[in-house]
Amino acid sequence: MIEAKEITKFYGKGESRFQVLKNISIKINDGDFTVILGASGSGKSTLLNTLSSLERPDSGSIFYDERDITTFSESELTKLRRDNIGFIFQQYYLLPNMNVDKNVKMGADLSGNKNYRSVIEAVGLGGKLRKYPSELSGGEQQRVSVARALAKNPKVLFLDEPTGALDEETGRQVLDYICALQNEYGFTIVMVTHNLNIAEMADTVIKMNSGKISEIYANETRKTAYEIGW
Amino acid sequence: MLIGIKDIAKLFAISVVTCCAAFVCTLFLNYNIDIVGIKDEITTPQGMVMYDAQVATGKVVAGIAGGCLVATTIVLLIFYVKNYIDSHGKELGILKALGYSDLSVAKHFWVFGVSVFAGAVIGYAAAALYMPTFYDIQNNMELFPQMKPEFHVSLVLYIIAFPTVFFMLLAVLYAFFKIKSPVLGLLRETQNVKFKVSKSDKGDFPFLTDLKKSTLKSRKILVFFVGFSAFCFSAMTQMSMSMDELASEAMSFMIISIGLILAFMTLFMSLTSVVKSNTKTIAMMKVFGYSQRECSGSILGGYRPISYVGFVIGTAYQYLLLRIMVDVVFADFENMPEFHFNFEALAISAVTFLAAYEMILYCYSKKISGQSVKSIMLE
Ligand SMILES: Nc1ncnc2c1ncn2[C@@H]1O[C@H](COP(=O)(O)OP(=O)(O)OP(=O)(O)O)[C@@H](O)[C@H]1O
Ligand SMILES: [Mg+2]
Repeated sequence: MIEAKEITKFYGKGESRFQVLKNISIKINDGDFTVILGASGSGKSTLLNTLSSLERPDSGSIFYDERDITTFSESELTKLRRDNIGFIFQQYYLLPNMNVDKNVKMGADLSGNKNYRSVIEAVGLGGKLRKYPSELSGGEQQRVSVARALAKNPKVLFLDEPTGALDEETGRQVLDYICALQNEYGFTIVMVTHNLNIAEMADTVIKMNSGKISEIYANETRKTAYEIGW
Repeated sequence: MLIGIKDIAKLFAISVVTCCAAFVCTLFLNYNIDIVGIKDEITTPQGMVMYDAQVATGKVVAGIAGGCLVATTIVLLIFYVKNYIDSHGKELGILKALGYSDLSVAKHFWVFGVSVFAGAVIGYAAAALYMPTFYDIQNNMELFPQMKPEFHVSLVLYIIAFPTVFFMLLAVLYAFFKIKSPVLGLLRETQNVKFKVSKSDKGDFPFLTDLKKSTLKSRKILVFFVGFSAFCFSAMTQMSMSMDELASEAMSFMIISIGLILAFMTLFMSLTSVVKSNTKTIAMMKVFGYSQRECSGSILGGYRPISYVGFVIGTAYQYLLLRIMVDVVFADFENMPEFHFNFEALAISAVTFLAAYEMILYCYSKKISGQSVKSIMLE
């Protein structure tokens, strides 16, 4: 379980200092699919990065099971990420001088996953193993970044707008693939999105509004990407 | 303006190098020109021998120092221009897309030559200030009739004006040549991945092994630069230490100081560039949970063997150069000290090199680990 208690985060200094996260407390159960919704600039990415140990909050604590990761050293955080966490970033962040195959292998090697090519196939890039990120379309790059995270077999998967650059059909395939893997392996998903429909696929929905949580609710049943007609 | 003051400030390494070069060359050439003027006043045959030796030494020192340093400056300047274009590909690409011509963009790069100008002026001024003392030292040895430093316009031309113009043109020309690539190439940074698929690409190596290879392959200029800086470090430190047997104390102190400054300068710069151009990859690997050791091992470690090779070549080069100088230039002089390979200098140089190399890399990987991923990736 991941539990955030009263976390705050500020950006900037002096005059321009401003609070992006205002006393946020949430619980995310193992195996849950949680979606974070909110307007642009409301602090979704910041919350995701803080929960996933990439950024430290200015106050508050974040517990992974019983351990407070805000007290961890850099190398302890690295270890935590290595063993537990997968990321998909809003801006993809692929390695520019590695081809698709190797970008995905970067994730796969950490968990000893020899079967990572099947993940590349599943996101529809089986034919582009030898292409470099600069030779791919935006959506293809996004799918590489999805494959890279999934190939790591993470216990918790953090996704920041993983379908932002994808058309409906491809987006649906990618999401369904992620959900199918989740059913199989039972990992936890925390996903940021603008898309209200996607929220219906989740167990829990967290709505954010200028740095605060405005609403949390649970869906009775989870829908598939096809059911939401997206 | 296209290129900011901050970008120019980054070129201060070039200024330091040209400053040293201008200083040494001004001092020795000025003295040489002046000494030619008093040739007729020398009467004793012994005096004439000393005179020839002095003129020869001046030429050798100015030649080696000037030649080495000019070569270094060329490499540095091209490296900086290339780096600037690579890292500002987007801006340059957008300018071109908007319809600016290659030349109108490239001509802004003349400001890179300002660093050479600044360095040369400071070096020249420093030499002019130091000159009376230098002449006093020489006069006190009473080898020749007393001399006073004279001012020579030709030196200002050779040491400040020509190099400045030369390097400004070089920067513009090289930039022009680089910017001529297609707009989309600049925008999408494809130049980074233009290497061929080799056999090793197809093999199934662990990610870290692949990474080590592709890091080296994707930035060949950096590989060259690291090797070159190791070469400079080794050649300059050893040469300056070995030369003290051939030159007076004041001179050898100067040569050693300059040698050390330059050696550390180039090494520092090349390693800085290595780290900078790989920061994103390191940051991304950290996000995924690769340890500090794995990151520096596979990214920064790949350059290590290259730097060793550079160091060895530098050792051989400085020995040969000095050997030739001693054998050719001083061939006619008796009483020249025997010149041998200086093992002590090699040992000192090697140990300093290893220590400096590892220190710089260590500091950088520490620094990277303190930065947030977002700030690194968006840079
Ligand atoms: N490094 C930073 N320095 C200063 N301000 C920042 C920084 N990162 C984000 N912000 C600000 O914090 C606020 C929240 O940013 P965040 O990226 O979390 O928004 P978001 O909800 O993910 O928006 P979007 O949906 O557009 O991605 C924004 O107003 C942004 O301007
Ligand atoms: Mg965001």
